[in-house]
Amino acid sequence: MPNWHELVRQRLSGLALNDAEKDEVHAELAAHLEELYEAFCNEGLRQREAVQRTLVQVADWQNLQRKILIARRREQPMQKRMYQLWIPGFLTLMVSMIFLITLQKFGFQPRIVGSGPNTILFYAPWLSSLPFIGALGAYLSARRGGLVGTVLLSSVFPVLALTAAFLLMFPIGFVIERVIGRPVDFSIVATAILRDGIGWILVPGVALLTGGLLVHLLFNRRSWSKETAIG
Amino acid sequence: MVGTGIKRGTAELAVLSVLEGGPMHGYEMARRIEQQTKGALRFTLAALYPMLYRMEQQGWIRGTWETSRNGRRKRCYRLAPAGRKKLLPLRREWAELFRALQRLTKVADA
Repeated sequence: MPNWHELVRQRLSGLALNDAEKDEVHAELAAHLEELYEAFCNEGLRQREAVQRTLVQVADWQNLQRKILIARRREQPMQKRMYQLWIPGFLTLMVSMIFLITLQKFGFQPRIVGSGPNTILFYAPWLSSLPFIGALGAYLSARRGGLVGTVLLSSVFPVLALTAAFLLMFPIGFVIERVIGRPVDFSIVATAILRDGIGWILVPGVALLTGGLLVHLLFNRRSWSKETAIG
Repeated sequence: MVGTGIKRGTAELAVLSVLEGGPMHGYEMARRIEQQTKGALRFTLAALYPMLYRMEQQGWIRGTWETSRNGRRKRCYRLAPAGRKKLLPLRREWAELFRALQRLTKVADA
């Protein structure tokens, strides 16, 4: 007979509850599967078939884990958003910025692409760290039961913050225009946004998203492979 | 078989109704619901437990660990006073809905 408790424990290993609660959930679900399996065996099914019929009870363990988390947590929607998006997102932002500042402090020179006003700067070590940082944000969000959209948003959070900062250049330009009494050339601002957008938003965004997507795929694949391996 | 949308709506009513008959654990609950509805309502583990946990958080049901005669530990659920209070209006709402649907289908058939 399969070790149902071990199976449930493995498949719901990412259940972000305290140890006692997690043990309770594992024990309860394992007891259910065990009874079902025994009922199938008593009906005359062979062991392999009984295991397969029992495992049909849960098509997607990852989804079950998320549903249990949502059901057992007494969090308000605001709290949920805090743990699934804001905390992983801001952590991703902080880590990426601290790493970039550190690189600059240690004198790492950016790679310069283009010439004159169309120069784009790329910090290669920073960019290569972003998939890992994006993966960290995605992992933290997924652990707290975040849906795909929230998980990916958490991974690309640094570039969302940068986008917001870039877009603020227009109203700030407008205010400066009023204060100094001289018209600001918004075409220059727009060019700067477009140019810097590639180096600071588009490329880093792709790098962060790559990490986020990898974590998402790994999480899904892990649950799928566990489902097909036993039975 | 009843469609998925209606099933979701009736799930809570089914659990509360079956628990009105006495405390029972998840597996027994799923089996009892399937038997009593002649297979129209079937709860998989993945559908049942998140709902039980949610209903427990809402205070409608209460779960306690008990040891059965064969020495197995099982979590037994019983109807809480809030759940008993919820059951009556829920039943009324569903009865009204089914009466309305019956009237509608009779008119359509005529």
